[in-house]
Amino acid sequence: MTEILQVTIFGLLLGGVYALFASGLTLAFGVMRIVNLAHAVFIVAAAYATFFAFEELGIDPLVSIIWLVPLFFILGVGLYMTFFVRIEGSPRYVEMTVLLTFGIAIMIEGLLGWRFTGIYRQTQPSYLTDAYFWGDYIVPAGQLYAALLSLILLIALWLFLRFTRVGYGIRATMQNRDAAQLVGVNVRRVSAISFGISTAFAGAGGAFMSYLFPFFPFRHWQWIALLLALVVLGGMGSLKGAVAGALILGVASSLVVDQIGAGWGPMAFYAALFGILLVRPQGLFGKEAVA
Amino acid sequence: MALLEIRNVNAGYGKGPDILKGLSLEVEAGTSYCIIGPNGAGKSTLLKVISGLLPPRSGEVVFRDVPFNGARPDQVLASGICFVPQDQAVFPEMSVKENLTIGAYLEKDRSVIKERMERVFDLFPILAERASQDGGTMSGGQQQMLALGRALMIDPAVMMLDEPSLGLAPQIAQQIFSTIRELEALGITIVMVEQNAVRGLELADWGVVLDLGIVRFEGPADTILDDPRIRELYLGKAVGSGGTT
Repeated sequence: MTEILQVTIFGLLLGGVYALFASGLTLAFGVMRIVNLAHAVFIVAAAYATFFAFEELGIDPLVSIIWLVPLFFILGVGLYMTFFVRIEGSPRYVEMTVLLTFGIAIMIEGLLGWRFTGIYRQTQPSYLTDAYFWGDYIVPAGQLYAALLSLILLIALWLFLRFTRVGYGIRATMQNRDAAQLVGVNVRRVSAISFGISTAFAGAGGAFMSYLFPFFPFRHWQWIALLLALVVLGGMGSLKGAVAGALILGVASSLVVDQIGAGWGPMAFYAALFGILLVRPQGLFGKEAVA
Repeated sequence: MALLEIRNVNAGYGKGPDILKGLSLEVEAGTSYCIIGPNGAGKSTLLKVISGLLPPRSGEVVFRDVPFNGARPDQVLASGICFVPQDQAVFPEMSVKENLTIGAYLEKDRSVIKERMERVFDLFPILAERASQDGGTMSGGQQQMLALGRALMIDPAVMMLDEPSLGLAPQIAQQIFSTIRELEALGITIVMVEQNAVRGLELADWGVVLDLGIVRFEGPADTILDDPRIRELYLGKAVGSGGTT
């Protein structure tokens, strides 16, 4: 029993960070119908930024969030206005976003590989090996901080969507783009802001990735597969769904790794995805028909 | 001077042919209009062009002497023209109250928003009762009321309604029509497309018959109702079915 609970704690901590990674991806799909294959490469790029800020300037990864979030927000808005505005209204818009973001992902990956080579990196802050003890249970400090900060960012996003005017506009656009236009939401502006938030979350996520998950440029493909799985599981475009999916799969894969073996983790992850989609093809919180 | 003028508008979808073929129409303040015509005549297309959802290929829409040159829907709305589309388009995962609040998205003064919401609740007591219910869980008629209420939140000068009775039971449709009458009494200029032509024309001051992308006839609604030619050509079916949807 103790062991199961211990593994569940690990799974929840992992799931909290997954939730942050996936929420940015699902936001981009929910508001702009962008299937952003470059989301994970943004996270990896932010992980590099965090890594070098730590190595060269001694800035703690968690402190780096303070500059990564605004920087990646601006990058996201810039990318949206430069590339995505051009394909707005195209009859094959969603498919175009897949190709466009695929191209962006390959380009950024190439730049990262050229500049920083393909070797594994990992930031080594002091708390990487620290742990808190709670009765019989171990809570690794680095993972705890990452999960808590992810939670704070997700709550901030929720409050923003719930209580601000722009937040109303974003939610309206997610639920019914045409009707949002008809109540006066400038959907292009709202889309640019949402994409900025999505990449800002990737920026924050990169700070955690830099010390939790060793990375190299090519690694992002593995991540995007996992993140797309989380988002599909939760229901494309559903924030609640992405968070629930991340926590469920985080715990499920931790349990499988513990009970059966490390090699089974990724497989269990996708098996759970298939299982759930067989029962609910639209995902946990998805709508029946996503156009 | 007309409040709203449509001048020689051509419009269509994608690479398709023109649906509106040089259509012109003047809308006077304080008059209510019912646009009728066969399927494919361009009724909904006209409303989409005015609302800014579909940019015209040529011609212009002029409101209060100012032309909308490719104005976005939010800019059209800000100038005082709102559009309630066919599918009601409420926000399914927002409560009734949130749906109304977002109706006043362009209004930043919270006390004004509150006043308007009270006015909507006076007109639609059912919305006040269900203020915290999600829009998507309401019946078709209630969603239509919510869509109308949400449009009122912008305090529009012109309200365009695309088939407000579509898919509603006759009794509920009747309720929607009497609400539209109340909106007219508030001084809002109504421009309505209605499948149920007889009902629509009874309600409106002015009738407009659209066919093949142009205005075929227009005149006081009662004369259109009485005109035997129009009855035969465009109202035949509606009269035959006794005015039910």
